Amino acid sequence: MDDNLGYLFAAFAVTWLAIAGYLLYIGQQVKGLRDEVRMLNEGDDSPGV
Amino acid sequence: MMQRKPANRSDMLVTGLGVLAVVVLTLGIFMAFVYAPTDRDQGDAQRIFYVHVPMAWLAYLAMGVVFIGSVGYMWKRSARMDRLARSSAELGFLFTTLVLITGSIWGRPIWNAWWQWEARLTTTLILWFIFIGYFMVRAYAGDAERGARYAAVLGIIGAIDVPIIHQSVKWWRTLHPEPIVLDTAGPNLPDSMLVTLLVCLAGFTLLYAFLMVLKMQIEWARDVLAERELTALLAPEGNQAERRTVATVSHKVSGAAED
Amino acid sequence: MRRVWALVWKDLLVEFRGREFLGAMVVFALITIVTLNFAFDLSRGDREAPGAGGLWIAFLFAGMLGLGRSLAVERDRGTLEGLMLCPVDAGTIFLGKFISNVMFIVIVQAVSLPVFYGLYNLPSLRPMVLLIAVIGAIGFAGLGTLFSAVAASSRAREILMPLLLFPLAIPLVIGTVQATTLIFQGDGADAWPWFNLLAAFDVIFVTLSYVLFDLVLEE
Repeated sequence: MDDNLGYLFAAFAVTWLAIAGYLLYIGQQVKGLRDEVRMLNEGDDSPGV
Repeated sequence: MMQRKPANRSDMLVTGLGVLAVVVLTLGIFMAFVYAPTDRDQGDAQRIFYVHVPMAWLAYLAMGVVFIGSVGYMWKRSARMDRLARSSAELGFLFTTLVLITGSIWGRPIWNAWWQWEARLTTTLILWFIFIGYFMVRAYAGDAERGARYAAVLGIIGAIDVPIIHQSVKWWRTLHPEPIVLDTAGPNLPDSMLVTLLVCLAGFTLLYAFLMVLKMQIEWARDVLAERELTALLAPEGNQAERRTVATVSHKVSGAAED
Repeated sequence: MRRVWALVWKDLLVEFRGREFLGAMVVFALITIVTLNFAFDLSRGDREAPGAGGLWIAFLFAGMLGLGRSLAVERDRGTLEGLMLCPVDAGTIFLGKFISNVMFIVIVQAVSLPVFYGLYNLPSLRPMVLLIAVIGAIGFAGLGTLFSAVAASSRAREILMPLLLFPLAIPLVIGTVQATTLIFQGDGADAWPWFNLLAAFDVIFVTLSYVLFDLVLEE
């Protein structure tokens, strides 16, 4: 029975790690988008782009 | 983050959903570990049930939303519908992967094997490949618009096929039966287990909704940026109307609009 | 409808004049059937199931060969644009391609079944086996025609088509193999439920493919 606890924690751990990882990934996407917006805005300022 | 609407309303929605999801999930996990009784036959490993089932629910819910988005795109060619489809597909792929992993981990102590070709797991495995196909089609289609069309085709066919696949695997399995199925006391689920499951289902569904809203915003921003880059590429000097659009989108007032 | 047959005739002509891939499909199926002998022990015991399974693997992969090339060749040659310039709608083009694809697969099957019987002494010449074969071919060609159009315009066309087609065609694989096994083992009366599954699958997915082909073809 105690062995089974190992599996239990493994399953929960994988789930939460995966979800956390995905949230990080989304966070990266947001950051990347913000940078891109900033770059394009700066491009707008300079003449003759 | 770029948004057309006043930042407040949708930010509040996202934050609210996120907080609610965390609260309900925390409650659900607590119940799964403490409140729910231990299963006679499977012991504590059975508690994996409380993440495995919600993951499965989300995987198929996500596929359903992909279907809706795909049909919507086919009907109206609405970019929003395509965003809905591809956002949900990404989440669906994540959850499908987790169904397979948690199912395998749960099954190991019970079956003494990492896998059984039982109907629901098998169908989920095939769903996993359908999601992969969905992204490959988009990636290899050449341009975004074609990718969206092809993906919509796959979204529609895939979603309709899934119940058929499930049924045929079930029938096939009656000919090749295998021992225990991943389940808990079948239809006679004790109330405490049922309640725990429902709470977990609710929590994870809220998580899905939260992630979907986030994803939709991200995809919207990407679409707009892509369009804007395209505009800049096509008309470098720009005319007044285009520059105004560009300026609105980036929340700037373009002083040099006169050209 | 007349236009559909015109398209089918065109495909048949192209094939028999150029001997493009039908020959390759047949040879591939035959080689697979021979290889079965070394992959499984089909000489004794429960040989109906692996026999039926192997037979259908031969059909599926040979079919894949033909389906994959079907629209890819057209796109490469630019004849696809020519087709689209004709005053026919996407559905008609689909039907033309679909019917010729079914024909090619059935030709492969018609050659393979006697050879299979000869090599393994399994009753693959029973009419019901051919019926199941054709029903399977219809469903496979339906989805296959649609997906070959999807894959044709992409860089990864060789891998994309099987990746899309195989998971979705699983009910076909299950139905045809189970039905064929039952026919090999007995009188096949219990194969009819599988036939119904296959027929339903065909109706649903050929119709869907017909409807959705429009989405795929527009440029």
